[in-house]
Amino acid sequence: MLKQMAAIREQPQVKSAIDESVIVACQRGDRDALRLLFEEYKDRVYSIALYSLSGNEAAAADVTQQVFLKLISRISQFRGDAEFATWLYRLVVNTCWDERRKERRLVQFAEFGVLTNSRREPSQTIRYAQHELSEHVQAAIAELSPKLRLPILLKYIEGFSYEEIAAVLDCSKGTVASRLNRGHKALARRLGWLRGQVVIGE
Amino acid sequence: MFTRHVTRKFSAYLHEELSPEENRRVAEHLIGCNRCRVEFERVRFGMRLAQQLPIMTAPQSVWPEIDAALRKEPVTQMITGRRSRPATRLAIAASIIVLLVGSVLIIRSFFSGAQPSWAVARLEGTPRIGSRAIVGEGNLRVGQWLETDAGSRAQIDVGTIGQVEVDPNTRVRLLETKPTEHRLELARGRMSARVWAPPRLFFVNTPSGIAEDLGCAYTLEVDDDGNSILHVTSGWVSLQLTNRESSVPAGAACATRRGIGPGTPYFEDASEGFRSALAKFDFSADKMSKDSALKIIIGEAHARDVMTLWYLLSRVDASERGPVYDRMAELVPPPEAVTRAGILSLNQQMLERWKEKLAFAPNPNSPKLNLKKI
Repeated sequence: MLKQMAAIREQPQVKSAIDESVIVACQRGDRDALRLLFEEYKDRVYSIALYSLSGNEAAAADVTQQVFLKLISRISQFRGDAEFATWLYRLVVNTCWDERRKERRLVQFAEFGVLTNSRREPSQTIRYAQHELSEHVQAAIAELSPKLRLPILLKYIEGFSYEEIAAVLDCSKGTVASRLNRGHKALARRLGWLRGQVVIGE
Repeated sequence: MFTRHVTRKFSAYLHEELSPEENRRVAEHLIGCNRCRVEFERVRFGMRLAQQLPIMTAPQSVWPEIDAALRKEPVTQMITGRRSRPATRLAIAASIIVLLVGSVLIIRSFFSGAQPSWAVARLEGTPRIGSRAIVGEGNLRVGQWLETDAGSRAQIDVGTIGQVEVDPNTRVRLLETKPTEHRLELARGRMSARVWAPPRLFFVNTPSGIAEDLGCAYTLEVDDDGNSILHVTSGWVSLQLTNRESSVPAGAACATRRGIGPGTPYFEDASEGFRSALAKFDFSADKMSKDSALKIIIGEAHARDVMTLWYLLSRVDASERGPVYDRMAELVPPPEAVTRAGILSLNQQMLERWKEKLAFAPNPNSPKLNLKKI
């Protein structure tokens, strides 16, 4: 079924278009700068929200909107003593937690209908296998506990270091390492049947 | 000495988040601990799965809704809220933020721009990285060539997983270095590698095949035509080109030819006649020449050469398989339940069973390598 090679996805190397002048412009209330900030982060914020909320698109869009409104209202508090992205993702994680508490929504991934809008554009020959693999991975991610899921999302969606993940989640680097380890093992256990059926790029 | 299991550190190890000492401890432990190696493969598989997680595109409707909210309340009012301050204080605060954020971004861009590299030490003469001579020590970055002339030698630290010694008249290039793969290209010349990482992390590309480390020490030499010869001194090395693959154990060697790939592995104590006949069998295009070479191989084979014969079972024509089997059975009788008919029809289970008896399969509990310098 999955004998084709799935695409290699490198760790996201975030080359941010956001520099200090954009942040200062945002703090001055410059709408163009705010739009630039939004465009830079919207997909990654949305992805983390989507995977955190079990694939609920509407809730994820809502969280994305809330995150940016909070960001706009609080950007004057950003002091530059932390990485901007770390600061932003604290907002994302907290907003997702609030949303989960509020809604207690747990939509199963069987209802997850947004798999076709992935940003990647793989070649025709691997698209099918990649799409199918991606579906299985998303379903397995959805089954992880939030404790294990969030470090994985921050690592693989944002490309954060352990130190940055620890700063966002307000825990130690050792805790991040332990949770990622457990998360990886849980994914391998849940999708163990894919071994030998699919070749995943290094 | 037995060390504590390191299963909790695998993700950090694969993400290069450990200190060099911890990294080395994990790598060393993995060589000798089968249990941890199984667990390591599980974590690595989970990591590869997580890497497939796609970034989704946010719906178009999100920004218009934010924009609408901004229109209801002026942006500046949202931002400054009730805590608006005198313009001068704001300007000072903004300047400080600019300074701090600027410093952070400059430092970050400086570090993120740094390419991964391997440390290179001059051993003799004047080795060069690109056009730059190495005086004492240097760094080999991804894409760069390290070249030695007739009078120079160099030593490369392969990240934290091993060392490579580069002999005179050699040209090597660093192709990749990341947690799941370290890869060199050997265009010509000779290099000796000692790797203490888990299997399948260190690769060397040559014009006639790829050497994949299975936990080992070896020497690899490439001539001006792109053909190579591999000598394994410890552990195992796999040689591959397209669909041809040979696993070479310690004490054995294997030649490769450009456009053909790896030949059949043989132990270095095989007779001269055996080795030259094997080269003819592996790389000659002439059928008659191959047939006569096979007869010599069968005739010259001793007990240790059964490894070579085992490989030949699946490389000879079906009509030639019988004599190969008979000689093998004479030298090392097959285990029970392994039949002549089964082997002649290339029954995989029987082949593997016999291979196990021959004890040249890669041993997952192979002894630890000496981690001292080559």
